[in-house]
Amino acid sequence: MNLLPLALYTAAAAAYSVHFMRGDRRSGRFATAGLAAAALAHTFVIGMRTMELGYAPIAGTTAAVSAFVWLLALAYLYIEITTDERTMGAFIVPLMAALQLIPALTPDAAEARSAVLRTPLFTLHVASMLFAYAAFALACVIGITYVLLFKEIKAKDVGFFYRRLPPLARLDVMNERAVRIGWLFLTAGVAIGVFWALRVRDTYSDPRVQAMTIVDPKILVALVCWAVYSFQLVARRFGLSGRQAALLSAVGFAIVLLNFVPVGYFLTRSHNF
Amino acid sequence: MSLILVGLSHRTAPIELREQVDFAARDMGGAVRALAGKRTTDECVLLSTCNRVEIYAAAGDPGAARAGIGRFVAEYHGVPVERIDPHLYLQRDAAATQHLFRVASGLESLVVGEPQILGQVKAAYLTAAGEQTTGPLLNRLFHSALATGKRVRAETGIGEGAVSVSYAALSLARKIFGDLSGLSALVLGAGEMAKLTATHLQSQHVRELVVSSRTMRSAAALAGRVGGWAIPWEHMGRAIEGADIVVTATGATEPILTRDRVQAVMRTRRNRPLFIIDIAVPRDVEPGTGELEEVFLYNIDDLQSIVSESFARRTHQIEQADAIVAAEVERFVIWLRSRHAVPTVVALRQHFEDVRRAELKRLEPKLAGLGPEARARVDDVTRLIVEKLLHAPTEHLKSAPDQRTIDDWADALTRLFSLSAGELDEKERG
Repeated sequence: MNLLPLALYTAAAAAYSVHFMRGDRRSGRFATAGLAAAALAHTFVIGMRTMELGYAPIAGTTAAVSAFVWLLALAYLYIEITTDERTMGAFIVPLMAALQLIPALTPDAAEARSAVLRTPLFTLHVASMLFAYAAFALACVIGITYVLLFKEIKAKDVGFFYRRLPPLARLDVMNERAVRIGWLFLTAGVAIGVFWALRVRDTYSDPRVQAMTIVDPKILVALVCWAVYSFQLVARRFGLSGRQAALLSAVGFAIVLLNFVPVGYFLTRSHNF
Repeated sequence: MSLILVGLSHRTAPIELREQVDFAARDMGGAVRALAGKRTTDECVLLSTCNRVEIYAAAGDPGAARAGIGRFVAEYHGVPVERIDPHLYLQRDAAATQHLFRVASGLESLVVGEPQILGQVKAAYLTAAGEQTTGPLLNRLFHSALATGKRVRAETGIGEGAVSVSYAALSLARKIFGDLSGLSALVLGAGEMAKLTATHLQSQHVRELVVSSRTMRSAAALAGRVGGWAIPWEHMGRAIEGADIVVTATGATEPILTRDRVQAVMRTRRNRPLFIIDIAVPRDVEPGTGELEEVFLYNIDDLQSIVSESFARRTHQIEQADAIVAAEVERFVIWLRSRHAVPTVVALRQHFEDVRRAELKRLEPKLAGLGPEARARVDDVTRLIVEKLLHAPTEHLKSAPDQRTIDDWADALTRLFSLSAGELDEKERG
């Protein structure tokens, strides 16, 4: 069922790339329509799954990746419509298509969710974390485009990106804003997660709940992420340049992806739902 | 005598060499006088801008004149002639005319259509005329070039938009900072380029426009004109700390902003981006400064990179401008060729006039009975007959399609009417 959104995300990614190369409004509108269709189909898939299971399928790495892609698509569409700035799509939509490969190619695990994962706090924790990751993904893409444009201007070889991307200052502001929003949600998500884990630890003997400590790779890497983004926000006030901040947000998101996929699938003992 | 152009420009020579042979920073009048004093040319005009050093001249022997001009430029600036020579171009007659008309129209500029060049061509001509190094050929050439430049600007709109070097730099600033209205700009220098850039910055409604120059009076005058404020030259360092855009356009021969100095400023600025536009030749900012984090340094040559952008938009206007230049060049070249026919035409007229006078003198006894009014009438009628007879051949000769035809026809006329060498020489001198 996740194949239809994958096909639509892939088509939208291609359309955004064409729009980036050509720069005409027609291909841009086509790309936006493609992404909107993909998000709609994805909403339908997640909605159907929710009705089928009786709860929102956001826990478990595969479901979380799918929910993350969906949130990212919605967040990006919101930004695009409000800013009328489509150039980022050529970078972010391919990421959506690539990540959507995971839920599309992994068989649905229709296990009933254990009682410990049914509390509202848990849902809030996962939703916050996913939203934070979506914001960091946007920050990363904005950061990459910042560096590309920065390099062109610095090398005095303005042309390809110069004509297509918004000004450096605007990219920098967008990057900082995305990181700040992501950081707030990450902080909230981690805090809620800690609060939830402490509450359920004594009640449930589930080994995953018992493994929720700072040495668990998933939790540890999430805290590293928090440290990286916190450093970025603080260092900006003390002379971190736009380029360094952009690179740092790319590094931060690489860690997020690392935590999301390899760590989430293979290493964690606490978050393997 | 031929029209020749010897020069080098941003198309043929690197900025380092252009800086070394820049006449504009020195006494232009003295330079053109010195060149005329070499007597390798009969007439000369020296055009020296940030992008080009060109000498337009009238000379009997173009090859010798080119060599002489090359030597002059080398000696004047103390640069070995073999260093300059490979970058020099020589153009003659129609090609030289076309080049100057294109230069005056802004078609040869780094940023196509930029408006300063017309003023620079005019200033170069007026300087030479003031030094009496121009003659009939260059007077006519430069008047036509200035008229062509004005026509191109008026009829094609090529001068609108991002046309000047300084305006192109501002479009770059917009790509770095986005909106310029919240920014602080510092202009170092108070010359023509500084004025132009300050005016453009003012039109972008920058938050603050500061002008600094070695002479406080000229800084204050410029600041007053553009609604900014002037600061003494010594306070320049502190002003850079607060500025987002720094424009350097001084006539200094040594860099006024070194890498170390800017590096120190960047520390206190906490790496806030700094865009330095160095439109001075010789450069005001040490080249290594551009390597510093968050420092964007563009000099005159670097602005070439954004020319292509404005070039694409201007294709249509450029086609129109090319057509105007071609028409004006053709008109001038016809005149230029006709100059070769002038001695023959004058000799022919002289010959006819001599015949007329001789005949009137021979008929003097027969005309003695006429009153003064009737005699004057006879004089007028005979003169008119000569005029009418000569009108068609003169015009045809002047507008002959090429030099060879002119020479052939002139030769035929000389033989047919037995025009004497004396008549030719006498009028050629006149």
